[in-house]
Amino acid sequence: MTAIIATESIAATPTAPPRRSRPSRKQNLVGWSFALPFFAMFVVFMAGPIVVSLITSLTDLRSTDIRSPFGVNFVGFDNYVDVFSDPKFRKAAVNTAIFVVVGVPLTMSLGLLAAVALNQGIVKFRRVFRLGFYLPVVTSIVAIAVVWRFLLGADSGLVNGLLDQVGIDGPAWLTDTKYALPSLIVMAAWKNLGFSMIVFLAALQSIPVDLYEAAAVDGAKSWQPFRYITLPLLRPTILFVSVITTIGYVQFFEEPLVMTQGGPLDATLSVTYHAYNQFSFGNYGYTAAVSYVMFVAIALVSFILFRLLRPNT
Amino acid sequence: MAPAKYSFMACSSEAGRRGRSSGQRSLRVLAVGVVFALVVAGCGRDDEDDADAPPDASGETSDGTAGTSDGTTSDGTTGDDTSGSAAEGSISVWAMGTEGENLDVLAEDFMAEFPDVSVEVTAVPWDAAHDRIVNSIAGGEVPDVSLIGSTWMGEFAKLGGLEPTPENIDPSQFFEGSWDTTVVDGVSYGVPWYVETRLIYYRTDLAEDGGFNQAPANWDELTQLVQAQADAGAEFGISLLPGGIGSWQTYMPFFWQAGGEILDDAGDFALGSDACVEALTFYDSFFEEGLAPSAVSDVPVEAGFTNGDVGAFISGPWMIGVVTDAGADPATWTVARQPTEAAGTSFVGGGNLAVFEQSDNKAAAWAFVEYLSRPEVQVKWYETVKDLPSVQAAWDDPALADDELVAAFGDQLEDAKSAPAIPNWEQIASAIDDQIEVVTAGETTPEDGCAAMQQEAESIGTGL
Amino acid sequence: MTMTVTPPTATPADPPAVTSDGRVVGRRNHRVLLHVGLVAGLILMIGPFVFMALGSFKTTGELRQVPPTFLPEDPTVANYRDLFDRLDFPRYFFNSTVVALAVTAGNLLFCSMLGYALAKLEFAGKRVVFVLVLATLMVPAIVTFMPLFVLISNMGLANTHAGLILPFVVGALGVFLMRQFIGGIPDELLDAARIDGAGEYTIFFKIVLPLCGPALATLAILTFLGSWNSFLWPLVVASTEDMYTLPVALSLFSIGQQETNVALQMAGALVVVLPVVILFFAMQRFITQGIATTGIK
Repeated sequence: MTAIIATESIAATPTAPPRRSRPSRKQNLVGWSFALPFFAMFVVFMAGPIVVSLITSLTDLRSTDIRSPFGVNFVGFDNYVDVFSDPKFRKAAVNTAIFVVVGVPLTMSLGLLAAVALNQGIVKFRRVFRLGFYLPVVTSIVAIAVVWRFLLGADSGLVNGLLDQVGIDGPAWLTDTKYALPSLIVMAAWKNLGFSMIVFLAALQSIPVDLYEAAAVDGAKSWQPFRYITLPLLRPTILFVSVITTIGYVQFFEEPLVMTQGGPLDATLSVTYHAYNQFSFGNYGYTAAVSYVMFVAIALVSFILFRLLRPNT
Repeated sequence: MAPAKYSFMACSSEAGRRGRSSGQRSLRVLAVGVVFALVVAGCGRDDEDDADAPPDASGETSDGTAGTSDGTTSDGTTGDDTSGSAAEGSISVWAMGTEGENLDVLAEDFMAEFPDVSVEVTAVPWDAAHDRIVNSIAGGEVPDVSLIGSTWMGEFAKLGGLEPTPENIDPSQFFEGSWDTTVVDGVSYGVPWYVETRLIYYRTDLAEDGGFNQAPANWDELTQLVQAQADAGAEFGISLLPGGIGSWQTYMPFFWQAGGEILDDAGDFALGSDACVEALTFYDSFFEEGLAPSAVSDVPVEAGFTNGDVGAFISGPWMIGVVTDAGADPATWTVARQPTEAAGTSFVGGGNLAVFEQSDNKAAAWAFVEYLSRPEVQVKWYETVKDLPSVQAAWDDPALADDELVAAFGDQLEDAKSAPAIPNWEQIASAIDDQIEVVTAGETTPEDGCAAMQQEAESIGTGL
Repeated sequence: MTMTVTPPTATPADPPAVTSDGRVVGRRNHRVLLHVGLVAGLILMIGPFVFMALGSFKTTGELRQVPPTFLPEDPTVANYRDLFDRLDFPRYFFNSTVVALAVTAGNLLFCSMLGYALAKLEFAGKRVVFVLVLATLMVPAIVTFMPLFVLISNMGLANTHAGLILPFVVGALGVFLMRQFIGGIPDELLDAARIDGAGEYTIFFKIVLPLCGPALATLAILTFLGSWNSFLWPLVVASTEDMYTLPVALSLFSIGQQETNVALQMAGALVVVLPVVILFFAMQRFITQGIATTGIK
């Protein structure tokens, strides 16, 4: 019946179905006049540095070479070989995979839940709720870390203090290898669900009310309107949010940096953190190689998401 | 090697030099943006050239700059005699944290004495100061003088970013271990500004209750002290870092005390020696016996120390203030020198002052550095921000000599070592931290931990 | 594929069902349950901030206490006084605002233009452009840091507002977001305008942009926040204090290599967050009403 935010996958279907023929000269001119301002900036400030760094990944560039960056050796794929044979990288890759596979669905479902709840017409003080749920997104990670360390501390933390009240001896959330990563996943979901929420809200706002009214007339019960109206119509938005969240989460870094420094025993070391460490050690070639390995991983996952969430036809 | 050398120079001549004219600037934009992409394959690291080069960045000698090891730089400024040349013009100075916030105090005194020089101080956050300095050297946007973390010297010197110390600055006025942090491959690139070293903080009252009445003279006595603290009711006799960033600074003194050296006389790593096994076994013993907490607690150590949960810990001079602020009764605790086995060495850290190779006012820059190294200025700095003087003569001042706790640090500084000033040190230190954690967690033996340290260090290399 | 744009509704949608008496009761329960859930969620979400706000009125000593106190025992504004005494706040505030506004404006304009071109126009190389832009979203930022800085400083833009702004004035996220939203605008609407003789620019500015209200508001908020909170880039590019942004200036409060002043950090974090909270509160109206107020049926 209605599609609000129609979308298409990058894979196949062109956007505007009727105009499939080769664009005319005038169309090219008009199209590029819209694209060029962005594209020019893009080439200089994004693509350029990316190309340079891609080349870097094929060299043995180190921080001590940066005053004579041409005096480095071209080492082919040695850095990539090093990446895959590095046990720290493998450990980091596993941690990151767990973080993404658990964290993305968790964050998105909490964000969607909040958005759907807030989209009910009956909610009072809607703006206060919306602001509250979004607050963690806007707050600097440093301040968040200070507070969360108070929450999760093993000996003086609030959470263990509360558990203590009911007779449970809480674990060392951040310094036990079993609990550190799950703790950070929860913290990341808490911090980021506001992003999913506001994007979902914007999309929910544009679903016409009469659809639900029609469904009610047809006798739809409890979760049926959500399942058969909301979810399908949110599909493009879910695609957008899942791609953005996944890209963000694959690069997960700030939480372990401020909370655990990757410990204990590398239990919270992420790929980006590993890359960051190597960057501080001055191993730029290696850092770039790790980054492009991640890039390929992100691209693959995004491709899969685009496939999975492609609109039904 | 000739063709490689040729392409090396051709490439370097475009991007390596940092000209100041706008024409060169646009050329450099081109060089960075395009040429790099096109010619990088044709440029190679010239290993032979590397090996023969004077002890500074090889790229620099190759791109036509006179070697800097003799104190002469490309733009003709001589770095070896600052006292003769009149200092004038303006200099910019970077300093981190508290130092950055308060350095204006000294800068004003300096400007009163050198009216022709104006000093502009920029406070830089510690968080990313390292990356910022690397970037500034890469982009040619350096200050004239900067505070440099003592473990970064190797990297920045090798990078060609720092200017060698002029000869009229006398190394012997500084603590030896601290001066060593400025020396990279035989050449000094700056001077120590302030220092810190690690002592044993312990609860004298608890030690007495547990039947131990003196400062620990050797490892056995340290164990007895810690045991006594535990006997007297401390939950942990001592708090030691079980691993994680910087734990090497707590571990390394034991390694030195056992007679170990990080680099042997030939300049090769000797991290896996018997001294390592002894030291790591000793370090691990506190964890094995439950005398030290196996994870860093979220209760700050000063809180545990004050309320008697923690009997002792090893840390630097900043903890004097922290422990006092936490409300510890001064009569109940003190600091002690590191125990002595083959040696009684501690770790020395702190901050150095360095002048940048790309600075265009080196004369005034060195004049400022020299001024900050005067004993009376160092004392004033101590009084301003509590940074301990790197200049030995400053310690005769009553402000330091009369404070028992502070004076103890002064004593220890005479026997304190730093990490070798090699570019790859931070990475090696991180590998050491990892092994300490693995060993104290009981995942591996000290023997295997030491072997792994040595092997990691060898594969990383010194970077010189 | 037909399309209805939401009719203007004064208040957002009522929940689905409403007729029989039984339903009304169910609805009241539903309402109570909903609010209980939301309030519980809200407490979880803002609890830590309350703690932070209270913490900013405590002394460092009290913050170190074990177990931690909830309400300040001896409330003090010393942290705030310290903050404002030691830092040139108006200057940092000005820098942060200028940079964030410029970055946001650039993103809104450039990203929606490209988003429109990608969603609704045909031109050679369109798919290549989209894939390229999307791909950059996936390259970790850290890796382009050094080349970007060398570029900026060679352009003579180190330690300038331009150097802080330009690298972020376009962003892949914005293109993706705008393309997704603009793709949902019915072609019929645009074709009708084209038949009336409107040029693409007229269509873009007069029809498309007004319809993109919620998306633009979302993008504006996200971009502004990203810029407002960004730390590493301004830290490196701004080499003198008069160019520092708020987060950079606040990070000066890590006292030394070994210590941090938590109380000051909490006060500082609050000062940085507050303008953004106010902005968000003011902006969120647009997220919800964007489409409703366009009046298109």
